[in-house]
Amino acid sequence: MSAFDMGRVARRRGTNFVFVALCGAATVIALGALALILGSLLYQGLGGIDLKIFTMTQPAPGSPGGLANAIVGSIMMCAAAMVFAVIVGVLAGTYLAEYGGRTPYGHAVRFLNDVLLSAPSILIGLFVYQLMVKPFHGFSGLAGAVALALLAAPIVTRTTEDILNLQPAQLREAGMALGATRAFVVRKVIWRAGAAGLVTAGLLGFARISGETAPLLFTALGNQFFSLDLFHPMASLPTTIFQFALSAYDDWRRLAWVGALLIAVAVLSINIVGRMLARPQARP
Amino acid sequence: MNDVATAPAISDQIMIRPPSDNLILEARALDFFYGKSQSLHAVDLPVERKKITALIGPSGCGKSTLLRTLNRIYELYPDQSATGRILFNGDDILHDRKTVARLRARGTTDATAEMQATNMDISLVRARIGMVFQKPTPFPMSIYDNVAFGVRLYHKKSRSEMDGIVEQALRRAALWDEVKNKLHSSGLGLSGGQQQRLCVARGIAVEPEVLLLDEPASALDPISTAKLEETLMELKSDISIVIVTHNLQQAARISDYTGFMFLGKMIEFSPTPDLFSNPRLQQTRDYVTGRFG
Repeated sequence: MSAFDMGRVARRRGTNFVFVALCGAATVIALGALALILGSLLYQGLGGIDLKIFTMTQPAPGSPGGLANAIVGSIMMCAAAMVFAVIVGVLAGTYLAEYGGRTPYGHAVRFLNDVLLSAPSILIGLFVYQLMVKPFHGFSGLAGAVALALLAAPIVTRTTEDILNLQPAQLREAGMALGATRAFVVRKVIWRAGAAGLVTAGLLGFARISGETAPLLFTALGNQFFSLDLFHPMASLPTTIFQFALSAYDDWRRLAWVGALLIAVAVLSINIVGRMLARPQARP
Repeated sequence: MNDVATAPAISDQIMIRPPSDNLILEARALDFFYGKSQSLHAVDLPVERKKITALIGPSGCGKSTLLRTLNRIYELYPDQSATGRILFNGDDILHDRKTVARLRARGTTDATAEMQATNMDISLVRARIGMVFQKPTPFPMSIYDNVAFGVRLYHKKSRSEMDGIVEQALRRAALWDEVKNKLHSSGLGLSGGQQQRLCVARGIAVEPEVLLLDEPASALDPISTAKLEETLMELKSDISIVIVTHNLQQAARISDYTGFMFLGKMIEFSPTPDLFSNPRLQQTRDYVTGRFG
C-alpha cells in the first residue's frame, strides 16, 4: 500500500465533523422545544394545583372550582376505550403476526389498519357522531370512548404485530416441538416473551388518545357537572381545556393550564412506568 | 482398495443399515421443498432404537432440513413441504388422515398414501419426538416451569409428582446440581450451556422415544459441550437420538451411526467407525479427512 492521501483523510474528518454537528443541533432543537413546552406548562400550571382541582367540579367564572368532573370523565372514557382497544388490538396483531399475516386477507387487514392509524382524529369523531350520536339523539361518554378506542386500536394492533414478529421463530418451534398447539404456544410463550412490548403497545395507544380533543367534541361533548354516567354527555380534560383556554376569564384560563399540566404529567409518568416495565429483566 | 469387492463398484450412495427390525424412525425416499426449490432428494434415513445417529455434511447439505421433517416442525412455514415416508414405529407420520385429506383436496395424494393413512395427532407425535435447537430456547418462565411445560400439556400431576419429574429431568440433563437452589428463578438467567441443558431437560421430561438435536453444541464452550455429550451418552439407554453436527470429532465420539449428506442427498450411511475410518466413497473420504472443497 502507498501512503495515505492526506487530502482525502482531511475531507473525511471535515464531513464527519459537519454531520455530527448537524445531528447535535437537530437534537438540541427537538429537546429544546420539549423543554419549552414542559417549562411553560410547569410555570403556568403548577401554581394552580391544589386539592380543589381534584375535589371540585368546574366553576362558573369568578367562583372557586376544580377539574374533578373532567378528570373523572377522561379516566372513564380512556379506560373504557383502552379495554376495547387492547382486546381488539392484541388479538388482531396476534392474528397478523402468528396466523394470517401473509394471506391476502392479512395484507388487506394490515393495509387498512395502517390507513386507520393515520386517519385524522376529527374524521373518527364525525364517524362516531353519525354512528352513535345522531341515531340515539344524544351525546354520550360511551360514544366518546368508542371514538377513542377506534384511535387507539390501530396503534395497539400495529405495535403488537411488530413486537410478536421480534420473538425468535425458534421459540415457537420449541413450544410446538413439545407437542403444544400453536394457540397454546402463542398464549403461554410468545405473549409472555413479548409481555413488556405488549404493555408498551397499550401505553402507546393510551398516550395517543389521552390528549385527543376533536373526536370528543362530536361525541362526549363535555359536561360541566360531575357525572359517572357513560350514557350521557361527559366532561374530559381536553375538551375542558379547549373550552376554558378560549374563554375570556382569567380563572378559567388558569384551570386550562392546570388541566394541560395534568395530561402532560399523566402521559409522562405512564411512559416512564412503561419503560421500567419494558426493561429486560430476569424475573423470579 | 479391498472394499471395492463389498461395495458396489460404481455408486453414488452407500447405505449400511442397522437391523430393520430395530428401527424406531425411518425416512424413506424423502423429498423436501422450500417453495419450489427442492432441498432433499430421495433421502433415506434409518434410525435405530436406543442408538445415536449423527448427520454430518457441509452447510446447506440438508441435514437440518432432514431433522426438521422428522417431527414435521417445518409445517409452521406454509411454503415448505415434504413428500415420501417417515415411519415412526411403523406408522407414516407424514400421512395422517388429516394431511391425506388435505392432499386429496389438492389432488396430490396417491394410492399408497391413502391406504397407509394413519389416525394420529401430530401434536401427540411431537410429544414423543423431542427436539433441541441450535440456539438455546428457554421459555420466559422459571427453570421449573420450563421443564414442567411439556409434561403439563398432557398430564395432570400432583405437586410432588411434578417435583420428582422436574428433578429427574434436570439430573439426567446434568443440570440439577447447578440449579437446584434456584428452580423458581427465570430460565433466561442461566448461561448458554446451562440454557441448552435446560432445553434438553425440558425435552426429556416428557419421556420422548426420540430426541432430535440440531447442532446443539455449536454455541457452547468445550466444557459445556463435554457435559452435553456425556448427557447424550447416558440418555441413549432409553432414548433414540438423532444429532446434526458440524463437529466431526463429536459425531465420531458419541454416535453409533453416521450419515454423510451432500447437496440434499444421503451420500453414505454406515456405522460410525466404518464411516470415519473406512469411508467407501471419495466424497465422504474428502469430507471426513478435511480435504473438502
